[in-house]
Amino acid sequence: MGEDEENNMNCKEFQEVLPYIIENGGNEEEEDHLRTCPACAELVQDLRYIATQAKLLLPMHDPSPRVWTGIEQSLHQESLLREGRTSLWGHVTSIPAPVKSWTPAGWVMAAVVLTAFSLVLVNYHPQLPPSASSAQNMSAQSIPLEGEDQQLMGRVSQQAPDVRRAYEDNLREVNAYITDARQAVERDPEDVVAREQLQDAYQQKQMLYEMATVRTLP
Amino acid sequence: MKRSTFAAGIGSIVALAAAGAVALPGDTRNETRMELAADGTVNVNNGAGSVNVHSGTGRQVVVVYTTHSPNLEVDESSSPDRQRIEIRTHVLHEQKLSPEESRVEYDIAVPAGASVTVSTATAPITVEGLSGDVDLSSNTGEIVVRNIAKAHVHVRGIASSISLSNITRGHVEVTSTGGAVELSSVSGPLVSVGTASGNITYKGDCSGGGEYRLTTHSGAIDVTLPPTASVDLTARSVSGTVVNDFPLQEKSHVTFVPKAGSSFTGTSNSGSSSVELQSFNGRIRVKKQ
Repeated sequence: MGEDEENNMNCKEFQEVLPYIIENGGNEEEEDHLRTCPACAELVQDLRYIATQAKLLLPMHDPSPRVWTGIEQSLHQESLLREGRTSLWGHVTSIPAPVKSWTPAGWVMAAVVLTAFSLVLVNYHPQLPPSASSAQNMSAQSIPLEGEDQQLMGRVSQQAPDVRRAYEDNLREVNAYITDARQAVERDPEDVVAREQLQDAYQQKQMLYEMATVRTLP
Repeated sequence: MKRSTFAAGIGSIVALAAAGAVALPGDTRNETRMELAADGTVNVNNGAGSVNVHSGTGRQVVVVYTTHSPNLEVDESSSPDRQRIEIRTHVLHEQKLSPEESRVEYDIAVPAGASVTVSTATAPITVEGLSGDVDLSSNTGEIVVRNIAKAHVHVRGIASSISLSNITRGHVEVTSTGGAVELSSVSGPLVSVGTASGNITYKGDCSGGGEYRLTTHSGAIDVTLPPTASVDLTARSVSGTVVNDFPLQEKSHVTFVPKAGSSFTGTSNSGSSSVELQSFNGRIRVKKQ
């Protein structure tokens, strides 16, 4: 992999800042990636369209405050509205503000947009370098790295990109291993295989940490 | 350019190359010889490039290496008692090197009985024909170990493919997270392989009355045994499938109740070696050679 490739943002990094890009627009590096990556460009286009459509779901005709007050009074008269909290001055607080309600058409549009959004996310396949992927790996890849794992990634941040990727992918894989084995042990504490698997999983993680430490010592 | 001048230039280059100095612009080939005490240890640490280790003659360690940047050097040192030799690739002044510049190719000959430890980031490691203990680790570099007898062989990889062949009477321990592990004709008192997602393949007779343990989370385990294999075999998967195409005799006493499709156990011949295959959700298959 060349130095240029090393400095350029990849699809995964782009995906991590995607919410900010949708909201605020991207910086130069992100815009560069967007220009050169059709998959990410298509995703951003789809998400921006969905965001635009979602704004249309807001109620177009908000009733005047007098309508809400009238409804509130009617509900009180019919004893259908429970008393609110009593204030320090002995007044009963009324409904604080008119609650915006959606029309049936709004609900239908919301469902359509949510479905479209889900489809876009499900079908989005960033163009990442090939790796030994499987259904198991895909589920492992969706697990975020936290705490000490993030520190480990910081430790290997100066390594070559493929090495960093190897650590990140395999940390997730090992975390999935630990989670699976732990759940199996919780289901059946007498399961010898599950217990040994849990032990192996932790040994795998220990090895990752050891190797990251050895390779990053000065 | 006059012919005599040209010839002198060529002669100088040949002479320099023969002396182990600069051979080509940017590439530097060096050769070093160091004495190693009997049962001494050679430690090698390299990032990118390659590391080949093989058996040599006498008591000398012969290190031949090629670098591709003046901003990178190789530190070689020997302890005063000659029990330990350290060979380490070192980047000068924290320079930022390109992948090509950061490569160092090593070819190392070690005396009989020497222990060898090699650690790399992306560089592949090949170790062949040694008679001492071997400890190898790499982040992503391929690891190949061949023709070793009566030694401890410890291998660790993160995304490295690992291949071991013709290892007899070994104490073999392999841990790989994502890389596949292949073992061919590997036997000994202990053969233990563990992966998270890497596949494990074993072809051999599991001889020696040893303990063989292959474990994975989501990788597949494939074991191919000859009919002459003398094993006491158990295969269990928590949520994966288990398939047996190898003729096994039922055991008179079992420590667990086999469940069709996810576990089985049995013996072949006198059952001298213990073979334990475990996966979480990877497939396990045992078949006849």
